[in-house]
Amino acid sequence: MDSLRNSIKRLNPLSASDSDFFESMPFWLPATALVLLFVYGAIGWNVIISFTGWSGLGQPDYTNFTLEMYRQMPSDPNFMASLRNTVALLVAFTGVSLVVGLGLALLVDRKIRFESTFRTIYLLPMALSFVVTAIFWSWMYASNGLIDTMLNGIGLGWLSQDWLGDPRFKLAAVIVALIWQFSGYCMIVYLAGLRSIPNDHYEAARIDGASTLKLYWRIIIPQLRSSTVGATVVLMVFALKAFDFIYVMFGTNPGRSADILAVTMYREAFSSSEWAYGAAIAVVLFALALTIIGPYAYTQYKRGAL
Amino acid sequence: MADLQLDDVTKVFVEDDGNEITAVDEVSLAIDDGEFLVLVGPSGCGKSTTLRMVAGLETVSDGAIRLDGSVINDAKPAERDIAMVFQSYALYPHMTVRENMSFGLEESTSMPDEEITATVEDAATMLGIDDLLDRKPDDLSGGQQQRVALGRAIVRDPEVFLLDEPLSNLDAKLRAQMRTELQRLQEDLGVATIYVTHDQTEAMTMADKIAILNDGQLQQVGTPLECYHEPANLFVASFIGEPSMNFFDVSRDGETLVHDDFAYDLTPETASELGDHDELVLGIRPEDIELRSTQDDTHSYETFVDVVEPMGNENNVYLTFDADSTETFVATIDGLHHVEEGQSVIAHVPEDAIHIFDRASGTALRNRTLDTQTMPEPQL
Repeated sequence: MDSLRNSIKRLNPLSASDSDFFESMPFWLPATALVLLFVYGAIGWNVIISFTGWSGLGQPDYTNFTLEMYRQMPSDPNFMASLRNTVALLVAFTGVSLVVGLGLALLVDRKIRFESTFRTIYLLPMALSFVVTAIFWSWMYASNGLIDTMLNGIGLGWLSQDWLGDPRFKLAAVIVALIWQFSGYCMIVYLAGLRSIPNDHYEAARIDGASTLKLYWRIIIPQLRSSTVGATVVLMVFALKAFDFIYVMFGTNPGRSADILAVTMYREAFSSSEWAYGAAIAVVLFALALTIIGPYAYTQYKRGAL
Repeated sequence: MADLQLDDVTKVFVEDDGNEITAVDEVSLAIDDGEFLVLVGPSGCGKSTTLRMVAGLETVSDGAIRLDGSVINDAKPAERDIAMVFQSYALYPHMTVRENMSFGLEESTSMPDEEITATVEDAATMLGIDDLLDRKPDDLSGGQQQRVALGRAIVRDPEVFLLDEPLSNLDAKLRAQMRTELQRLQEDLGVATIYVTHDQTEAMTMADKIAILNDGQLQQVGTPLECYHEPANLFVASFIGEPSMNFFDVSRDGETLVHDDFAYDLTPETASELGDHDELVLGIRPEDIELRSTQDDTHSYETFVDVVEPMGNENNVYLTFDADSTETFVATIDGLHHVEEGQSVIAHVPEDAIHIFDRASGTALRNRTLDTQTMPEPQL
């Protein structure tokens, strides 16, 4: 067998690294081909469709390409509203989740009793699907739901609102529910970061005379930078993909106050059959995701972490 | 400047299952102003716990810690006017060297910014790290980080310096260099210092006074030479000195110490120091054993060379009483004195150099006599 391989190698004019390339092909080629076709191929096809102006029944016309779809966007109030909502959701959800997660992590890190129980409780919502959380929270928000009942119970009944109907509260209601689901994840990321800070730093800061507040503000939290960056990227990507959550809560038409790009895209493509316009919105969404991931991936690559 | 005093300081840790562990057991120590005290002992002997109690990082279970006469048991670390250097250096990785060194001043004093800058720069110049002030700790070598950690302590101008095995992360050569430098620095600053180490060489070379701890209990406090030549007990005798003292279990028969392999005759004066103790341990430092070619004395024994460790300046010669035996004891001889493995030599154990301990309690009953009856004074 070996002699056979050696004689093949002798016949083969390729260098050793080239032959490694071919010999290893069966291991990586099938997966690579599938990813190329179904991920990058689909993205590419979607980009092409966005240039075609395809709508309604019938087939896309691949001979005439136009930027019309992208030109329409700024003047489409629905698109602009959902872009605004997407950014608002992105910023508010990510920011508040990080703060809540950090707060929980700092509390859980103080060697409390039943630490692992608390950790599990906080992390559990993360394990639920968006569909479950959405249904669960729409019950909570319903009139006579848990939230209104609680407000009434503590004599703050005048505060109760039509949370999911009033355009002023819709998006906020969604953001709060998402924060509930993801702050546990932030807590775990921060907890891991906190655990990697040596105890000596706390002690050195105490000897240096730092108050607890200063200790966290100047010594501990700055050292959590990489945890923050990592969690931010994950949260932002989730925020862009919050489609299923809003779809389950409101259907395809949540109204301008709670519309986000993912839902608009779905509605344009699959309800209105504006295929090209839907594809163009998808490209915008993709570009947003890239602007979030890109710098992160680049810095990680620079640091040799990729 | 001030003096620090520990009175019967005790630390008891209570485990989750209610078990109590006494880490430090009634330790009493006094460190005078400007004195360099080294706390030394094997791992887990309670030396770091003692230091951490002084720093205020551990509570004191019993006893009192006094700084300048006032009890500081319950004072916060920041209120104690101490500065500490950690084994890991504990530099804040996100801050520059300058920020690391000024942090303590910013947090614990109301010093104006310009003064902080000046203090930090002075200390950095003194330590030779003034060109590193804008670098981050990760960009520094171990030795440089060590200096930054020292600098952070120095700028505080504390009453007491606490150093927790500060040299253990350095390589051997740098460690020797930093040892001298630390000593010089401490002398220049004249601040009372407690230095924790498990390395008896550091203890011997740096200390004004050594405190030896074992199992949480203080074994002996004294100058390095006192601890070396007049150990209070078996533990101190075996811990201080490298290679360590040779010990032989002996029984007393009148004025003779009887071992399985030899008998050692004592003079009446030496025998009288032993009281009524019969089960004893005979100790002799390796450098006090003389190797001779002829047996001309009652304290000379025929031995066989098992292993020779040449150190250059001296040879460590491992000897046995019996050519086939594996029980060795060690003699240190001049490096130019050549001996062969397997060779038969006469080992002379001079009586003025022997130590005798009570076997049960370990207490020293008789220590070596020194030529000058008192400790050698520094000669100018």
